[in-house]
Amino acid sequence: MTTQTPAIRISDMDKYFGTFHVLRKINLEVARGERIVICGPSGSGKSTLIRCINRLEEYEGGSINVLGTELDDNIDNIDAIRRETGMVFQHFNLFPHMTILDNCTLAPMLVRKQSRAEAEEVAMQYLTRVKIPEQADKYPGQLSGGQQQRVAIARALCMKPEIMLFDEPTSALDPEMISEVLDVMVGLANDGMTMICVTHEMGFARQVADRVIFMSDGEIVEQAPPTEFFETPKHARTQAFLGQILGH
Amino acid sequence: MAKTYHKPTFIERIRANYFSTWLDTTLTLGFGALVLWVLLGLFDWAFLNAVWSEAEREQCGHGSGGACWAVIDARWRLIFFGLYPFEEQWRSAIACIAMVVTGALSCVPWFWSARRLPVLWLVGFAIFYVLMRGGLFGLTPVSEQNWGGLSLTLFIFASVTLIGMPMAIVFALLRRSHLPMIAGTMGVIIDTIRSLPLLSIMFTFAIVLPFVLPGWAVGDKLYRVIVGYALFFACYQAEIIRGGMQALPAGQEEAAQALGMGYWHRIGYIVLPQAFRNALPPTINQLVITFKETSLVVIIGFFEVLASGNAAYGTAEWNFAHIEVYCFVALIYFTFVFALSRYGAYLERRLAVAAR
Ligand SMILES: Nc1ncnc2c1ncn2[C@@H]1O[C@H](COP(=O)(O)OP(=O)(O)OP(=O)(O)O)[C@@H](O)[C@H]1O
Ligand SMILES: [Mg+2]
Repeated sequence: MTTQTPAIRISDMDKYFGTFHVLRKINLEVARGERIVICGPSGSGKSTLIRCINRLEEYEGGSINVLGTELDDNIDNIDAIRRETGMVFQHFNLFPHMTILDNCTLAPMLVRKQSRAEAEEVAMQYLTRVKIPEQADKYPGQLSGGQQQRVAIARALCMKPEIMLFDEPTSALDPEMISEVLDVMVGLANDGMTMICVTHEMGFARQVADRVIFMSDGEIVEQAPPTEFFETPKHARTQAFLGQILGH
Repeated sequence: MAKTYHKPTFIERIRANYFSTWLDTTLTLGFGALVLWVLLGLFDWAFLNAVWSEAEREQCGHGSGGACWAVIDARWRLIFFGLYPFEEQWRSAIACIAMVVTGALSCVPWFWSARRLPVLWLVGFAIFYVLMRGGLFGLTPVSEQNWGGLSLTLFIFASVTLIGMPMAIVFALLRRSHLPMIAGTMGVIIDTIRSLPLLSIMFTFAIVLPFVLPGWAVGDKLYRVIVGYALFFACYQAEIIRGGMQALPAGQEEAAQALGMGYWHRIGYIVLPQAFRNALPPTINQLVITFKETSLVVIIGFFEVLASGNAAYGTAEWNFAHIEVYCFVALIYFTFVFALSRYGAYLERRLAVAAR
């Protein structure tokens, strides 16, 4: 793994659900430290694409290389890639039977073989960073949606991943909680984390993205830096989509 | 001004719930009188007019109209210890207590770790076995054929659940394997065993198996019956656990996968703890049924507590006193099953706090 290799390289990747061709010949290269926002209409395959990157979904054709490791059927490779890739889900997916602190320390202790003391120190550091250290001993069910999502981000960060994947992290949240989660994500972006975010928060895209990718019907239709993407979208489908979500 | 809320007093609640109309009042008084009459009659029978000691046996059934507890006084050893040799019954008693203490201790959260629980049960079973079987430390050997009564019931129940529970977990995991061959085969096995009566499984393991197995693998009939019963238990419990697993959102395992946790870590830390919590009420239910159905081993020739009860009034001397014996045996069952149910309720409350 040299720093020369890109963080992610996806070549001619095909993915089917049964006979349904969800992702068609996807080609995407993400440099280290690059921040990417993926948007597109519902059902266009955005979630499926980022779930292929940490092998929550299998893919049928082409190849995916993450941090120089080929993502194939080799379980060791899959585990290695998952260790280096954090993921934040739309519905948080915290472990409801564990305290916030245990949610954050479980994987570092089991997977990274950290001692409890070590893992707890790291966890408190990240919980402080997402501004909820005082909730450490509560259970997920006792927190608001925004707080839960921030815990989910802290939990992923505790594994010290190289890449963070976000799948619509704010779309299950009440409006007043969206900004508290976005603030954390902006902070992360400013620290140089490699990020791929599926989101429709266009303000966030403008502020931090190096590149915005528009997907439709399982294809990458258009990609460009945010200013160019929003000011002069080339493709008709992109224009239609932007017209809808930006309301003009 | 708005009416302020007035918390009803006890009397007011009683009046509102039971005496608000003439019909209510009539029903309340009618049923109240009926219940009172039955309870007083029972009290008279069980306590006031009862004959308590074996010495007063002649008074039994001579118009006193009371229970003849003399039969329990005379035969309690048979009920508790079955055919276990009379001089050695203190061993059976201690073994019985060891089993109860082990069971009670394993209900204490401090013991709930992968290291402590197996050690606890290993020690518990070792004490039980050495005391019951003898042959060590100068204890006279007593063969399994002569074990009986409550000690036997508790031993069968504890062994069946302890062998059956891990088996059930394995079955449930195989049943939801991603490989269709494995999941399908496990499904057929579970469905087949569940569709057989427990009696026929016990018979097969006790009587038929010795013809099939090589001599060294046969073991005592008691252990074969226990293994058969454990298999039966595991098939039911596996489906209960699987139900608990299905209630988990897919996101739980995905989150664990995304964190790089391997299969066994996901199962051990994420899936099973939540599956057991979801499946707690039916699991307690299954344990209660299992406890009560241990009485079926009598058909293989073992005198567990119910069969020993039958024997207790089975002599010419006591054969009029079957109601008293059954009441006593029922009380024993009630004690264990009720404790189990209350423990289940406690667990549910405890887990509910964490799930809020
Ligand atoms: N497990 C599955 N089995 C079959 N089809 C699926 C499965 N998951 C997703 N799909 C289908 O694949 C397509 C792409 O789904 P995906 O979740 O990737 O869309 P998306 O772009 O993330 O949409 P959204 O914005 O609604 O989240 C959809 O048509 C969806 O119905
Ligand atoms: Mg999606």
